[in-house]
Amino acid sequence: MPPSADLLQGTLDMLILKAIALRPEHGWAIAQRIQLVSNDVLQIGQGSLYPALHRLEYKGWIRAQWGASENNRRARFYSLTAAGRRQLEAELENWDRLAGAVNLVLERI
Amino acid sequence: MISEMWSRVKFFFSGKRRSEIDEEIAFHLQRETEANMAAGMNEKDARRRAAIAFGGRERAREQCREERPIWSLESVVRDLRYGLRGLARNPMFTAVAVLTLALAIGANATIFSMLDQALMRALPVRDPGQLVVLSYAGSISGHAESHGGNTEGHRHEFSYPMYKDLRDQNTVMSGLITAAPATVGVTWNNRAESVSAEMVSGNYFDVLGVPPAMGRVFDPGDESAPGANSVAVLNFDYWKSHLAEAPVVGKTLLINGTPFTIVGVAAPGFHSMVWGQLPGVYVPITMQKIIEPEWDFLPDHKSYWTDVVGRLKPGVSTAQATASMNTLFLQLRTAEFALQKDQTQKGRTDFLTKSHLNLEAGARGFSPLRDDVQTPLTIVMAMVILVILMAVVNVASLLLVRAATRAREFSVRYALGATGGQVLRQLLAEGMLLGVAGAAIGLALAPEALHLLIRWMSSGNPGEPAFTATLDWRVLTFTMVATVVASLLFSLAPAMQFWNPKLAEALRQSRSETGGSLRFRRTCVALQIGFSLLLIVAAGLFVRTIDNLRKVNAGFATDHLLVFYLNPLLAGYPSTGVVPVEQRALDAIAALPGVRSVGATNDEDLTGDGVSGNVIVPGYTPPPDDDYDVELPWVSNGYLQTLGVPLLTGRYFNAGDTATSDRVAIVNESFAKHFFGSAGAAVGHHLNRNRPQTDATIVGVVKDVKHSSMRDPATPMCYTLFSQAIRTTGLIYYLRTWQDPDAAANSIRAAIANIDTKLIVGNLATMQQKIDDQLLAERTIALLAMTFGALATVLAGIGLYGILAYSTAQRTREIGIRMALGARRATVVGLIVREVMILAGGAVLVTIPLAILATRAVRSELFGVSVMDPLTYGAGIAVICLVAGLAGFVPARRAATVDPARALRTD
Repeated sequence: MPPSADLLQGTLDMLILKAIALRPEHGWAIAQRIQLVSNDVLQIGQGSLYPALHRLEYKGWIRAQWGASENNRRARFYSLTAAGRRQLEAELENWDRLAGAVNLVLERI
Repeated sequence: MISEMWSRVKFFFSGKRRSEIDEEIAFHLQRETEANMAAGMNEKDARRRAAIAFGGRERAREQCREERPIWSLESVVRDLRYGLRGLARNPMFTAVAVLTLALAIGANATIFSMLDQALMRALPVRDPGQLVVLSYAGSISGHAESHGGNTEGHRHEFSYPMYKDLRDQNTVMSGLITAAPATVGVTWNNRAESVSAEMVSGNYFDVLGVPPAMGRVFDPGDESAPGANSVAVLNFDYWKSHLAEAPVVGKTLLINGTPFTIVGVAAPGFHSMVWGQLPGVYVPITMQKIIEPEWDFLPDHKSYWTDVVGRLKPGVSTAQATASMNTLFLQLRTAEFALQKDQTQKGRTDFLTKSHLNLEAGARGFSPLRDDVQTPLTIVMAMVILVILMAVVNVASLLLVRAATRAREFSVRYALGATGGQVLRQLLAEGMLLGVAGAAIGLALAPEALHLLIRWMSSGNPGEPAFTATLDWRVLTFTMVATVVASLLFSLAPAMQFWNPKLAEALRQSRSETGGSLRFRRTCVALQIGFSLLLIVAAGLFVRTIDNLRKVNAGFATDHLLVFYLNPLLAGYPSTGVVPVEQRALDAIAALPGVRSVGATNDEDLTGDGVSGNVIVPGYTPPPDDDYDVELPWVSNGYLQTLGVPLLTGRYFNAGDTATSDRVAIVNESFAKHFFGSAGAAVGHHLNRNRPQTDATIVGVVKDVKHSSMRDPATPMCYTLFSQAIRTTGLIYYLRTWQDPDAAANSIRAAIANIDTKLIVGNLATMQQKIDDQLLAERTIALLAMTFGALATVLAGIGLYGILAYSTAQRTREIGIRMALGARRATVVGLIVREVMILAGGAVLVTIPLAILATRAVRSELFGVSVMDPLTYGAGIAVICLVAGLAGFVPARRAATVDPARALRTD
């Protein structure tokens, strides 16, 4: 198995929020997407995905609804709330700033 | 932020069902398995790899649950169900705890309801906050009729001309109203009865904002001229109960023999601007001479007889109004002063300079009744609060004992990962269950208890009581709050013991008596002993007070005495016909079989009222500033003999003293001593009332008797004959019977009806009943104190027994060791009981100074007992020590009878 990078809890939240920014997804689909899009670098210990989803739901940033999945089975679909959208923007901005600062330091040191 | 709060609220109600999380995880694993199978693995391998990739399923589940808030409805419901099951398993404990709380909360609701009605409710009128009650300071000369409620510098009775001037000339009131109470004879459908009435100004109902329920209420046009407004408005309750809700508008009613037209019925719920007054009928104040035929108050500046209340104009503050009204008041007083006889400088100071008007908040109405009941009610409320505290301590100790047996249960919960908060929540839920159950039962019983109490208090009193037996929202709120607070308090007792999650040790070890829990138990015991001692002492003091009051020698024999009131003027008799019919009544009653003797007076004994005034004795110069008030009853020939007042010297009135013979008077010992130095010297002297035709000769001296009440000392009295008086008046008849006085009631009514069916026999009762009525406040306090004292003793007994039984059971091992080492049973029992008594002794020592302080605060209600009455305190201490000793002895004895070998093996 390819090595999984340690993900900070905050970044995981951000990734999840971004993953469902365009359309609602269920838990497995979110995990698959992140894994796929990162070329298998980011492997979320899938056991830590669900607690994160519940935490985000409790904070009011995502909303969950039961729906039918692709193969007509019952699954819980998560979507962004308005507050979640705002939170995502804020976190993206933070991430840019942080990454930019680290890059700067690495260049100049 | 808001969305977070909102989702918290949603989470509280929906929570996260465990099955949902399971379903989600199962779905995930299924998809992963399918993906693996699509990549070529067989089913078993696919499943295995999916599980590995997922990570720990249990852990994921737990972590998901951790994200859940602690306070979700689901868990609260679960706690409640669990608590219910636990309580159902211990029915004895539950029953005792719930009953204790029910009694305490029920008592609280009952008494607080009365307190609320008496002291806190505003009048049921429009904008009661704008009302102000008028009173004044300053001397008066003339006739003052007080209806109670006067204090130093606050006289409430105004004259009618003064009221009119104040009303018409002020600029700060949107309305000024006046009312005066009276008792009248009302005849409806040829039935006559004595009814409470109120004479009111024309704007009374308008200013108060009371609409009519039928017809109309008064307007200023109904106060046009003396005697010209023979209209009446009925009180709603009176109309319902006495007139059977008949259509009365426009019909005629006889009041004191004069026809009045009923113009309407007042809205339900309204009685008077004076709380405690319950008039049945309202008449315009201009009809005063018909309502009170003996007096002509209306035009007289020097008759003070009617209370005044005003409504401030919106935007005007009480201070502004007081200043403005005072200027007006002083102007009017100055004009009045010019008409006075006494124009001395001193007179001027007393009448004018020291005179001012007070405006006091009138939202709750003016009420002498409130002043009477305020102290007793507050005392009883304090007792109720003590009872509640006792109940809380009691239930806390019961819960503590029960919790001690659940140590294992809690430590297992902690071991399985419960947090302190969750355990606390469980304990609070159980406490709330007990509290709510107790409150529900208590509140269900309270209206009935209130009803009984009110009925007991007003037994023998004609008419409606001033209190109603309903609980309103304020009482319910107070009770809820009290219940919640109490439940919290006693739930925390066991919680304190089990807060510490390190209770896993308790699993291993059997008895760990932590210092904290032992101290707490001892505190509970001491508190219970202290509270119950306080209540028992209070009960003892009040019971002795009532006993002393009942035994006070009134100076005359109060047994077999029947009393009633007769006023021919109310039946429409002209003033010349009054004395003859009163005399006929006396003769008719005297002729009845079973009547030993009969007498009459215009000044009823032992009711707190009096007719007093100054007496001039020629030859006696009073010292300056002497204001020696003498009671001046007008009596019949047989009065003194009927009452059994002993004669010291001279003679009683007899048949030779008639309306036309020489005027005579009899004085009592205090009078004689004051004016003549000794009782014997009085006979033969003259006295008069500084009015024509009042000169009389003293023919006898009698012993002092109590007149206004059992508490007050005897006053000087001067008895004269009603047949020789300058005015006619209604009389109170006293008759002494051979047999039981109640049996004579019907024959009396028949005898009076025989003379004239229009005559009304009012307030028929025995003397003993009237005395008891006077002592109503004291009797109520004594009854309630005794009830609460008994309750406290029982509660203390139960609570102490519970705690001590548990403590003793804890020490079974220790006892076993002692006995195995040779101690005798008696020694062991003595050891335990001694410890209890030391604790009790300590509690008593601490409580006694508190009790003394508390009883000093209520000194005014006591009679004949000192605050530190040794008998009461001694009895209280004895009772409580007995209870404590017994509560300790029984379990100790039981523990000591256990076989030592078995005791040593108990775990």
